[in-house]
Amino acid sequence: MAKNDLTTRNLMLDSLKQYAKNRLSHEFIREHDAKNEIPLEILKEMYDHDVLGVHLLLIPEEYGGLGGQTTEIYRVCEQLARIDLGIATGVFATFLGSDPINVGGTPEQKAKWFKKIAHENKLVAYGATEADAGSDLVSLRTRADRVEQNGQIVGYKITGSKMWISNGGVADIYTVLALAPGGPSWFIVERGTPGFTQDAHEDKHGIRLSNTAGLAFDEVYVPAENLIGLEEGKGFLQAQAVFGYTRLMVAAFGLGGGEQAVETALQYAQQRIQAGGPLAQKQGFMLKLITPHYVRFEAARAYIDWTAKQLEVNNHGLATEGAIAKLYATESGNKAAEDAIQAMGGFGYTKEFAVEKIKRDVKITCIYEGTSEVLEMTIFRGRWQEHLKSRGQFYIKQAEEFEALHAQHPDVGADSVALGFRALARVLEDCRLQKLTRHQYITFMLGDLISEAEVAAVFAKQCAEGKVTEGSRFDLNSLKVMSRVNARLSAFKIATEGMKLILGVGAAPAQELSQAVNLVGIEEKMTGLIEDEDLVSAKLREIFKA
Amino acid sequence: MNIIVCIKQVPDSTQVKVDPKTGTLIRAGVPSILNPYDHYALEKALAIKARTGAKVTVLSMGPNQAVAVLRLALALGADEGVLLSDRAFAGSDTWATAYALATAVKKIGQYDLILCGQMAIDGDTAQTGPEMAYHLNIPQITFCDSVDSDGQRVVVKKLIEGGHQMMEADLPVLITTTMPVDYVAKYPSFMAAHKAQDKQIFIWTAADIGADVHKLGLEGSPTRVSRIFPPPARQKGEMISGSAEEMAAKFVEILKKESFVK
Amino acid sequence: MIQVSEKCVGCGKCVSTCPFGALSLVNRKAVPNASCTMCGACVSVCPVKALSLPAQGAVKKDLSAYKGVWAFIEITDDGKSQKVRPVGFELLTKGRELADQLGEELAAVVIGDGVEKYFAELSSYGADKIYSVSSPAYHDYNTLAYTNAMVTLIKKYNPSVVLFPSTYIGRDLSPRISAELFVGLTADCTGLSIADGLLIQTRPAFGGNIMADIKCPDYRPQMSTVRPNVFKKVVTRPGSMAQVVSEVIGVPAQAGKVRIMSKYFDEVGAQEKLDEAEVVIAGGRGMKDAAGFGLLGQLAEQLGGAVGASRAAIDLGLLPKEKQVGQSGVTVAAKLYIACGISGAVQHIVGMEHSDVIIGVNKDANAPIFNVCKYGFVGDARQLLPKVVDAIKRAKAK
Repeated sequence: MAKNDLTTRNLMLDSLKQYAKNRLSHEFIREHDAKNEIPLEILKEMYDHDVLGVHLLLIPEEYGGLGGQTTEIYRVCEQLARIDLGIATGVFATFLGSDPINVGGTPEQKAKWFKKIAHENKLVAYGATEADAGSDLVSLRTRADRVEQNGQIVGYKITGSKMWISNGGVADIYTVLALAPGGPSWFIVERGTPGFTQDAHEDKHGIRLSNTAGLAFDEVYVPAENLIGLEEGKGFLQAQAVFGYTRLMVAAFGLGGGEQAVETALQYAQQRIQAGGPLAQKQGFMLKLITPHYVRFEAARAYIDWTAKQLEVNNHGLATEGAIAKLYATESGNKAAEDAIQAMGGFGYTKEFAVEKIKRDVKITCIYEGTSEVLEMTIFRGRWQEHLKSRGQFYIKQAEEFEALHAQHPDVGADSVALGFRALARVLEDCRLQKLTRHQYITFMLGDLISEAEVAAVFAKQCAEGKVTEGSRFDLNSLKVMSRVNARLSAFKIATEGMKLILGVGAAPAQELSQAVNLVGIEEKMTGLIEDEDLVSAKLREIFKA
Repeated sequence: MNIIVCIKQVPDSTQVKVDPKTGTLIRAGVPSILNPYDHYALEKALAIKARTGAKVTVLSMGPNQAVAVLRLALALGADEGVLLSDRAFAGSDTWATAYALATAVKKIGQYDLILCGQMAIDGDTAQTGPEMAYHLNIPQITFCDSVDSDGQRVVVKKLIEGGHQMMEADLPVLITTTMPVDYVAKYPSFMAAHKAQDKQIFIWTAADIGADVHKLGLEGSPTRVSRIFPPPARQKGEMISGSAEEMAAKFVEILKKESFVK
Repeated sequence: MIQVSEKCVGCGKCVSTCPFGALSLVNRKAVPNASCTMCGACVSVCPVKALSLPAQGAVKKDLSAYKGVWAFIEITDDGKSQKVRPVGFELLTKGRELADQLGEELAAVVIGDGVEKYFAELSSYGADKIYSVSSPAYHDYNTLAYTNAMVTLIKKYNPSVVLFPSTYIGRDLSPRISAELFVGLTADCTGLSIADGLLIQTRPAFGGNIMADIKCPDYRPQMSTVRPNVFKKVVTRPGSMAQVVSEVIGVPAQAGKVRIMSKYFDEVGAQEKLDEAEVVIAGGRGMKDAAGFGLLGQLAEQLGGAVGASRAAIDLGLLPKEKQVGQSGVTVAAKLYIACGISGAVQHIVGMEHSDVIIGVNKDANAPIFNVCKYGFVGDARQLLPKVVDAIKRAKAK
């Protein structure tokens, strides 16, 4: 069977939207949010092959699934997040939990477990996190001791505990990371295995429609055939192989949650009459609370989609890109949700509207699958290597590419992207010369600036190539305007924040540094910025009518 | 038994907005959907298919993007799709549209039952179905909210002024369907959407169906839009504002003045 | 696609007029894109006449042979007896006006069983002539039988205008006839007039807040459908008697392929019948939910009225589709119409503007609904209505 085309993807998303419209009212979600309760019947229904069969996306076709590509999975994640991030997390946990099998499983293991998940609609949980081992899996404590018979390894006894496991209390199948004699390894553990118990459901700030629980293993015996890949010590590689991919999905969560919050606020503002006209017609309201967020969403969408398309060619890896996507999209979504409450004033602060719930929900996207700080570090490490290897030319080269792009396409902000890259190259080089990266804070902030620069670059390039990102509701011209806005703000942030870091931690003549990052050049590009933002506001009002 | 369902891609009307200043439609970002009446007609056809094993072909006319609604129909269970897409069709009013669709039906050849939604929500004319029936020289029954067939004849519940009537007809016949009040359109599962990719959609031009070009597009359309204008401005009446109590008192005063409350 | 001549000055008027977003300015010239449906909306707004539709190749017929305005008279059946559906009188009243402007005759066309009894009343609404086809075979409406009769009459007498009611029967019959005669048919007209000898058919277009004039310059007869209650009925010729032309037309064998098995009539109180109600209380999206519509019901009870809804509220599932007031629903001409939480899209306005007294309640003082209201209340109907209901009760108690 052919890979899913765009029409098919849109069809799936329409089905998902319609399902939510019919079955998941705001009242239903609000009630479960208040009760801190997972709507298990909804998850089961979404898995029902005749209703949606959403979990089949992650199962390869040969095992009865539909072998979803990265693009459709991230778009489904975005749509799920628009509906409810708790439900989205419940679905995602099955995706994530199945991944170790997908990456490391033998053909027999894949056949056995994927068929089970596909046909019996099993919920899966991903059991990695421990009290002392979050993103940093090195301090893993859960053990898997060999059980031998006649010199043969026939099984393992797993002992230890896991915490904050999504679907922890409700899953049927668990993939569990444990330390075997040969090193960290993934095991498949089924619910009901003697010695395996689940803790009570956590009382969380948000995503309260998802079940989160600790797991306890007391000499839980699993046969050797449940060791994923039938080889000990591959656990870390198997876990890291999918980071680019899984983080992209969480990026889509941040995007979807943020969009839903801002659109709710905007639709409210189109109706809310203040001083003789709708709030949404007020420039200050839009430019402060709405428009900049949507600009970042479109930038994030372009970047996520670009990364997804790369991952489809090269199935795994792209850890830095996945981290950039997640950091950028989830932080943007989180801040946008905060402003969506502000935009709706008192209404935003009540539970009658969904934005306060989205605000609580979307925060998790900045935490799980790597906190923003872990991601900043990952991004920094990835690109610092490139900077060193290229003797400082990594971003200079890209700046040249965007200068050339600007000559061809002067309306996408490629000039500002180039200025941003040059400023970034200079900041990185100063950090190297002054050895500033020994400060952890600097590494975090550099990670952040790198993600700003690279997202702006991909967005501008996609616009120059005439691509309207699938799922975007804007036309190419509006996206170009947004790209111009985004590239200018990003260059300005890189230059000013970069200077702040170097001046704040190291030492440099401010004037000289300011010239080196070409701050005035970047500032000159601000001409027409507000006009462009007003254009975006007008387009937003047009698209998101009350 | 062979059933042909005619379907149309339309803008999601609940989301089509009008620019308050210019009075024109705002189409940016408005999603397209399968015309809900056609969606219902399709479900009726698929129910007949489930009982009789009929083959269901979906037929649409529109730009290439209209493939999306054909794919939806295939995912829901239709067997194959036909899209009429050609610049020669542009500018067609209902007469020319019906002629083109009927000509395509003749090319499809085998049919016992044609189902159409009673109207498209972006035009509201309810003309295309009956006009097609004429071109095919078959009887029609319009505004039906249930349709059933055993492959020999069709039994429908047709709405009439003040009630409804049960009717039967010999095949072939063309039926247009209305929509029950509580109708919730079905959407396909992910797997069904995926599998629909393997079903055939034929894209036909005016030449492919052997249509008379003088009966297509602008030339085949008797009606002409001669002028488009915003609705005439009117004189505003008396405006009342104030507290709810004050307004309620004024409200009743008006009802008395106009003799609706004695 | 629409043609743009050298004369284009790039003023952009057509760009904002195009209902399909099919025009844009490129290098200060209007350029159409693939979305163009050749509706012609832009042609009339161009100040320099730079836009045109491609020339038509159709052979021009001799149109001078077509004379007279016809109104198709629908006979309605309530399960007990038959009578003329009042919309027929409305068509005659409007038809009289058109016929006078054209200087031609007005004819009522009535097909049925024993239709002679309607002749006097039809005459009083201004018909010069009555074409009748009367036989027990026409007792129940049958598409093919009635189409055959109408087509036979039209081919024999060549009217220039034929008006149909936009009812279940009219909407079934008229397209079948237009297809056979290869003539235009404009659905649900809200205005009809004559200009340069042509019928100008006005209706809301493209589902939006915009009106279109539609004509059929090269085809005869020009045919339109009109919803009940759109035009007033006025007895213009009391006591006069039209010239009756009775025709005997057989029913084609094919008509027997469709058979009525049974008929059912709903038991509806006069109060609930929207199109005949004297008082209509209608709600829109602003009523929000079932509780909001409950308030409308309470007011309707106090005033003896029927409850209706705008399309937005119908789409929200607050009332069934048959309660929709507007272009794609029921047109009402009530003595009192109260619009609550309805903003007033044209498609709603055309369905209620002929009511005598219109009261609007809306939070937005700029809502277009207020443009047709005799009285406009600026406020939340959900808060206002309970107080109004109480006040009416008190007033009645006195």
